[in-house]
Amino acid sequence: MDTRALVEGLRFTDTFFPSGGYAFSSGLEAAVQGGAVKDSDQLARYVEDLLRGGMSRREALAAKLANQAGAHGVLREAIRVDRELNSAKIGRESRLASRQMGRQVIKIAVDQLQGEAILREYLEAVETDRTPGHLAVSFGLTLGACGWKGEETVAAFLYQTAVGFVSAAMRLSPIGQREGQRVLGQWLPLIDRISREVDTHRPMCSWSPVQDIYAMRHGQLEWRLFRS
Amino acid sequence: MTTAPVLVSRKRTPSRSVPIESIGRVGELRLDYAERDGRTIVTRSHCTSPWHLLPPIYLDETGAAYTLLVNPSGGLVGGDHLSIDMRLDDGAHALISAPSANRVYRSQGEVSVQDIELTVGPGAILEWFPEHTIPFAGSRFRQRLHAALAPGATVLLWDAIASGRIARGERWAFATLENEIHITTASGSSLVERYELDPATNLGAVGLAEEWNYVASLYVVSDAVLSEVWTRLEARVASILDGRPGLVLGGVSTPAAPGLAVKLLTKKAPDLTQMLEALWAAVRQELWNLPPVNWRKY
Repeated sequence: MDTRALVEGLRFTDTFFPSGGYAFSSGLEAAVQGGAVKDSDQLARYVEDLLRGGMSRREALAAKLANQAGAHGVLREAIRVDRELNSAKIGRESRLASRQMGRQVIKIAVDQLQGEAILREYLEAVETDRTPGHLAVSFGLTLGACGWKGEETVAAFLYQTAVGFVSAAMRLSPIGQREGQRVLGQWLPLIDRISREVDTHRPMCSWSPVQDIYAMRHGQLEWRLFRS
Repeated sequence: MTTAPVLVSRKRTPSRSVPIESIGRVGELRLDYAERDGRTIVTRSHCTSPWHLLPPIYLDETGAAYTLLVNPSGGLVGGDHLSIDMRLDDGAHALISAPSANRVYRSQGEVSVQDIELTVGPGAILEWFPEHTIPFAGSRFRQRLHAALAPGATVLLWDAIASGRIARGERWAFATLENEIHITTASGSSLVERYELDPATNLGAVGLAEEWNYVASLYVVSDAVLSEVWTRLEARVASILDGRPGLVLGGVSTPAAPGLAVKLLTKKAPDLTQMLEALWAAVRQELWNLPPVNWRKY
């Protein structure tokens, strides 16, 4: 990857980027309140399991496929993946959070990366409700337009997701920044592995019943810091 | 309880297209239902071994046809391929279950496959509540269940797996387990649950779910139910799921298709059964003000 492509894409993965991700915990808040995540070791296991079983062959796969669609300028394929992801995200809050962040990303990407026709066409499809606009798809298309390859895009997507979990955990539990960095470091080999091993010729699938259930339970929490 | 005559076309001799080694291993079951004068009857049926067809029974005044899916072989071995093609005509109402759990035996290499196609016509109701699947150690199972709903159709779909033969201490020891549930409504909205477990690989590990013994999903999908009914039902289901803390972990939400999705984990079979009965009863009452079903299976 050349340096220009690197920095072009980095700003879309940076926590400074206004995707609105800080408002969502992806079920972690319900897991903390339910007693499933009480310390950094449990956080490490909970998120690692989610990245591997729940997201590697669903969101990560979608990001990789969208990256390919973006590289080849095939909007139809991006929409197909987006709709499939929408059907596969069974929980309401997770689905809506992903759509809201995805819309933010693609709107800013179109504004910033002018000249990328597929981004404009995708945004138009999102705004006319022809496609749901999930984060993984917007992200994949955007980083593809920045010149990032599929593996790099998946790694960045999962890294951004992992950082979001650490950030949420620091607000929900007594986990400090150094602890957060340590946990984040533990996930890096898995992120690297997923980015290389996700097979775009296999169907989208997901297995993280524990995390899925906590994400579903978020709506019934009596008090909430996050929106998912 | 009454039973109805059913026209059964049962192939007792192999057709020329079926190799002899497939007899009893490649089984097809076809059932068509239609509503006639307030009662749902079977208008067409066909099965090949190992499927065995019993006539539907009528347990109440709704006219719903209660049907048990019977596989006398008791389960699937590697290379078995069982399929079900079920079609409900306008306004038909069928309830489906099985007399016992679906066992999947150890396989050296070949996969045991179960393919299910459910077509639910306008205004028809399908309540699909089979017993859970038990994947034995070393088993390889692939299930694919597709349900297509016409306008006004409703499906209640329960799917549960056990970690294995728990009493023997055999848990999450299968070789591979693939499951796909795909429900599509007339408007094109859909929900998909698909997982591929292969504990020997990194991405296919069972993970945190290993602490539990049963994993179940209940999907209730219909474009003919008012939104306030879904809201009321969701709250009631959430309350049921909270009834056995530590023994049951469950969640309910609204999927992309109109309806509710419920996922739950239990450690013991009686908790699974109790949850199934409570959830099913809540759905029937909220949607149609009908009492719970008493299968009289045991």
